Amino acid sequence: MSNNGFEPRIVAFACNWCTYAAADTAGISRMEQPPNVDIIRVMCTGRIEPTFILKAFAEGADGVVVSGCHPPGDCHYNNGNYKTFRRMPLVEALLAQYGIEKERFHWGWISGAEAPKWAKLVRDFTEQVRDLGPLNWKRELESKED
Amino acid sequence: MKGDMYLAWSPNEENLEKAECGGAVTSLLKFALESKSVDAVLAVKARDGNRYDGIPVLITEPQEVIETAGALHCASPNIARCLKEYLDGASDLRIAVTCRPCDAKAIIELVKREQINLENLLLVGLNCTGTLPPVAAQKMFKEEFGINPADVVSEDIEDGKLTVRLKDGTGRERDLAELEEKGYGRRENCRRCETSIPTMADIACGKWGVVDKKATFIEVCSEEGSALVDAAIEAGCILVEQPDDEAVEIREVKIEAATELARKWQERDFAPFRAMSLDERFDYWFGQFSQCIKCFGCRDACPICYCKECWLEPERGYVRGGEIPPDAMWPMVRAVHVMDSCVNCGECQDACSMNLPLSLFVFMLNREIAAIFKYEPGMDVETLPPCRIVTDEELSISGVELV
Repeated sequence: MSNNGFEPRIVAFACNWCTYAAADTAGISRMEQPPNVDIIRVMCTGRIEPTFILKAFAEGADGVVVSGCHPPGDCHYNNGNYKTFRRMPLVEALLAQYGIEKERFHWGWISGAEAPKWAKLVRDFTEQVRDLGPLNWKRELESKED
Repeated sequence: MKGDMYLAWSPNEENLEKAECGGAVTSLLKFALESKSVDAVLAVKARDGNRYDGIPVLITEPQEVIETAGALHCASPNIARCLKEYLDGASDLRIAVTCRPCDAKAIIELVKREQINLENLLLVGLNCTGTLPPVAAQKMFKEEFGINPADVVSEDIEDGKLTVRLKDGTGRERDLAELEEKGYGRRENCRRCETSIPTMADIACGKWGVVDKKATFIEVCSEEGSALVDAAIEAGCILVEQPDDEAVEIREVKIEAATELARKWQERDFAPFRAMSLDERFDYWFGQFSQCIKCFGCRDACPICYCKECWLEPERGYVRGGEIPPDAMWPMVRAVHVMDSCVNCGECQDACSMNLPLSLFVFMLNREIAAIFKYEPGMDVETLPPCRIVTDEELSISGVELV
């Protein structure tokens, strides 16, 4: 294992109606995926306030995933995914300015029928974050607590 | 009608004497009160005659309007926040508000957030090339100009020069760029501001375009503004003439130059951050924000922050109470909530007790977001902030591109 045996902790915000179902199916179908991802189920990705993502990082996540229903028509609430899609660039810009690698944050769309896509995302993203190593923010917070 | 331009001046000697240029703004405000087209005027005056202490005042008596005549360059009152917080967003009072471009933008952003009732407002825009921080300005007058700050009767920023006039009638002039190199001069956010003419207000008043004359150049920017100006002309409260083509052209050139200068400042201030590696950026911002004493000043001053229950309060469970410095969530929550609509008023940085570069942080992010969404905050009341809109066009396409 690369990066001195570092195991990243990843928080995934998954939409109840699509990505959560895909993750469920991926689990039931025994698709191979690393155990590093903690899923937080939300009713809609439109519910995800940018602060949630920042909070996940602040609480020790090394990577964050946001995944919801495909635009245009999949959203259970008509346009929740559009709201996500307008907020996420804000988070991306902020993380970049604050010095957090953009590879630690992924957002996209996975429908209920795309379990293999979910499993692949989990595998790839875990690998990607593992290569980056622990989040610099966490390092700083820990040194403060000492 | 909208788009009209006038050279206007006041027939009243006292107004002419006290005013910055033609006294037209003072006369218009007075006329608006007298003709009952507004119930009150919200303007800025020097508290106890101190030029370095400009405060917003609500005036209901026409004869008191004269107290607000003349420009105060060393004051940056938070007009938009004042309007929302203390005048109930003009919900039950018709108010004429004098505003700089950033004030007008902030008011418009608050209108979009349903915090201010635009129907009751008459925005009298004042052209602005920047304001000076009051304490630093006094120091600058002492050290760089060699004068007593209390002797100053007017300041002016024109053609890259900062000019002051003194009680005894003499004047001093210094190169603004030179002063700004030394850390004096305009507030940092003002240097980066591209908007010197508040065309988002009902009328935009200033002196650019006036040649060898004591007059105010008025650009009419809306039908409400037009109605007021026309009525004032008819009543003889202001005297006007048409500016000739040359005057209009001179004004255009000055606007262009100011915008160009602002872009240069933006480039100059933002470039070091672009050149930094991620770790350097992290160290820089983490270092800055570890000085934060959590006074809530930035939040309370920001005209865009309007939530009644703020994420930053300890009971919301995001930022722990009683902890200094607050964890890094603090500036990030602040930034992410206002960055799409930051109007670059600089109030956050003015309020900051630790003098952190807050306005730079948020405005720099805002420029990135503005480029993505093609959204310019505060320019048009009809265009909602990017996070608020989904277009029909977007809903009908497969695959989503940022619009």
